[in-house]
Amino acid sequence: MSHKPSSRVAVKKVVGPMFLVALLLLACSEPASYPEKDITVVIPFNSGGAFDAYVRALAPGLQKHLPNSINVLPKNLPGAGGRRGASDIYRARPDGYTIGIFNMPGVLIPQLQGMKIGYELSKVTWLGTLGYDSYVFVVKGDSPHESIDDLKELGRNVTYGATGPGSTSYIATNIVNETLGIPFDIITGYKGSSDYLLGLIRGDFDAAMINFSTARSYLESGDIKALAVFGTDSNDPQVADAGDLGAPELANIRVVRMMGAPPDLPEDIKTMLEEALLAAMEDAEFKAWLESTGNEAHSANAAETAAAVLEMTEFYDQFRQLLD
Amino acid sequence: MLDLLLQAAAGLLSPGTLIFLFAGVLVGLVFGVIPGLGGTTALALLLPLTYGMEVTHAFAMAGGIMGAIAMGGSISAILLNAPGTGPSAATCIDGHPLAKQGRAADAIGAVATASPLGGLFGVLTLLLVLPVARDIVLLFGPPEFFLVAVFGIVTVAISSAKNLLRGLVAGGIGLMLSFVGYDTVHGGVRYTFGSDYLWDGIPLIPSLVGLFGMAEMIRLSIEGGTVAADAKTVKLDGVWSGVRATLRHWKVVIRGSIIGTLIGAIPGVGGTVATFIAYSTTKKADRDPDSFGTGRIEGIIAPESANNAKDSGALLPTLAFGIPGSAEMAVFLGILMLHGMQPGPAIFADHQDKIYGLILALTLSAVLASFIGITFVRWLAAITLIKGQILAPVVIAVSLVGVYAINLTPGDVVLAAVIGVLGYLMLRFDYPRLPLVIALILGETAERGFQQSMMIGNGDLSIFVHSVTSIILVVLIFLSLSWSFVPMLRKKFAASIAGEVP
Repeated sequence: MSHKPSSRVAVKKVVGPMFLVALLLLACSEPASYPEKDITVVIPFNSGGAFDAYVRALAPGLQKHLPNSINVLPKNLPGAGGRRGASDIYRARPDGYTIGIFNMPGVLIPQLQGMKIGYELSKVTWLGTLGYDSYVFVVKGDSPHESIDDLKELGRNVTYGATGPGSTSYIATNIVNETLGIPFDIITGYKGSSDYLLGLIRGDFDAAMINFSTARSYLESGDIKALAVFGTDSNDPQVADAGDLGAPELANIRVVRMMGAPPDLPEDIKTMLEEALLAAMEDAEFKAWLESTGNEAHSANAAETAAAVLEMTEFYDQFRQLLD
Repeated sequence: MLDLLLQAAAGLLSPGTLIFLFAGVLVGLVFGVIPGLGGTTALALLLPLTYGMEVTHAFAMAGGIMGAIAMGGSISAILLNAPGTGPSAATCIDGHPLAKQGRAADAIGAVATASPLGGLFGVLTLLLVLPVARDIVLLFGPPEFFLVAVFGIVTVAISSAKNLLRGLVAGGIGLMLSFVGYDTVHGGVRYTFGSDYLWDGIPLIPSLVGLFGMAEMIRLSIEGGTVAADAKTVKLDGVWSGVRATLRHWKVVIRGSIIGTLIGAIPGVGGTVATFIAYSTTKKADRDPDSFGTGRIEGIIAPESANNAKDSGALLPTLAFGIPGSAEMAVFLGILMLHGMQPGPAIFADHQDKIYGLILALTLSAVLASFIGITFVRWLAAITLIKGQILAPVVIAVSLVGVYAINLTPGDVVLAAVIGVLGYLMLRFDYPRLPLVIALILGETAERGFQQSMMIGNGDLSIFVHSVTSIILVVLIFLSLSWSFVPMLRKKFAASIAGEVP
């Protein structure tokens, strides 16, 4: 680096415009060459949970269906019930290198409650839906109650277990009981679905709303018994679904795993990610993983996902008075 | 069962699997030594790597990590008074004074003997109680959680009997800190000052790093010198005397192991409580409890045997119901899910071979980690001879990076630093830090357990004597409370007799 001053000026004169040209070229060629570097997928929970497992099982397929052999890197950002991860995705640069998974309605409820959250779900660039997890109305395996009507006839408030107020399980329990007209009390404070599941088996309370993927193996083992499934349709004809209960709107009571990117993501990048996502969900390996872990695939494209977000917002907005 | 065990052993002892086990042991030791990083972080970071691995290999590696963490964590607890992991914090109390006296090698020798013995004891107990695992787990509900938490707090409060008032002040601060954040029972947010970071409460690991490690490094920087008070007294070859001491105190080992297994089996209470209760109980049972904290080898043996025994206990809820008994087990279940196995009540029935493989890997790993510890004890103990102005910046930097790595949260780093100053002030003005830690851990469990019990029992206090388990716990609490008054009453009694004589 021992240029004389004069030659340094000369170098500057040449390098400056060249740099500009290179920059322009880069800017123009960006859409065509996306992705140029690794893509981070934010998971708003610790590793070890269902959201984490979904993303990690999907990442190899996503990588395969994107050009330029870049890596898709899952990144766990746990905290504040998933809100930290959501606001992190929301605030990221809309360049397609940061996307993430959203826990719905977990991150929607604080928004409806008017909390200071750092994101606005209607502005997120939605890419697709990985799956639904319907809520199941369960009682202990050896419970004498065979239907929701049996519970109504107890002559006292039915007790339920749930995580904290504001959590999906708490809101779901409220909505279901209000809609079906069951008098109820909720024992709050359980640390998660497996915690209140154990509480139910132990006999701390009468019943609980629990997501199907957690409940499934306990239903099979007979530790717990389903009285209703709030999916669009119940696979088991013995178990009532939302329609059978005369309240089809309860089909909205479910956890949805949605993929999204920061607001204002360029359209071409969005399409690319959406297509890769849909293709990855069709991969044989991912399907085999879903099968063996008992998760069901319900994929949806970007437009359907954005519409579902609006629909969910409307649904939960009706129960505003329950959210505060 | 035996044939399955042998089958699992054969699977584990293949060269490929052993390499992964050994790799796990090394990772576990390193993550254990670095304050802040522990088993949960190591497993969480490893989880994605196992995706392409064979299941047996993944389990061997996970078992290797989980078995070796304790040894690593206790090495930094002894040498630097900076517990590498939560459960190792109890080892600081007598381990670090030993290091100051130049007997770090003795202390590490004791750890290297007590932790695999505790691990073995835990595994044997686990195998014995497996048939009734479900019943044991169902014995504990919200009322019992509340009582266990109270028992823990009471035990520790009493163990600081020498300066009871200061112990209570520290415990009170700990309880207040434990109430920060989102109240999962009633849904309110307390003492967060609008900060999103504090919403999840005061996290334990950054607090421990601050309270012990940072505080100790601040002290070392201010006072100067080396960890060992006098370089001439440092014995680098004391490891065998530590080993012998542990074998001589076999009763302490067994007591510690029982406590570790029992408390490990209660989901959500955690290893840190297990080791602290093992320590406090041993201290109370001793003829000379006041000498604890000055470098009693039993003060290391008890928590260390509990430290490895608790892993087996934590497996109990997992095997019985597919529900994690500790944070490590939660990540471990995540590894299962990643490999296409659904954790659930049938987990043990469906995957017996793999579970036995994991149990064997845990045991083998604790033994391997001990051998590595004993082999390197000379070089490790030499750390106590390094000058403070070199040691402190390195330890502080490594600790803070470790704290940041847990959740990639800058707030954790700030918290560790703030609590570090608090810890130094407590050290400087002679306030015990133990009650603060226990209250911080158990405050939330106690509050939640109480509120839930009240909701379940419709506000009737009789729910706390509703089951045999809860009655036993109530009796234990009263016993340990009255125990501390025995010497006081004896003194009074003696005085009154002496007063009557003339």
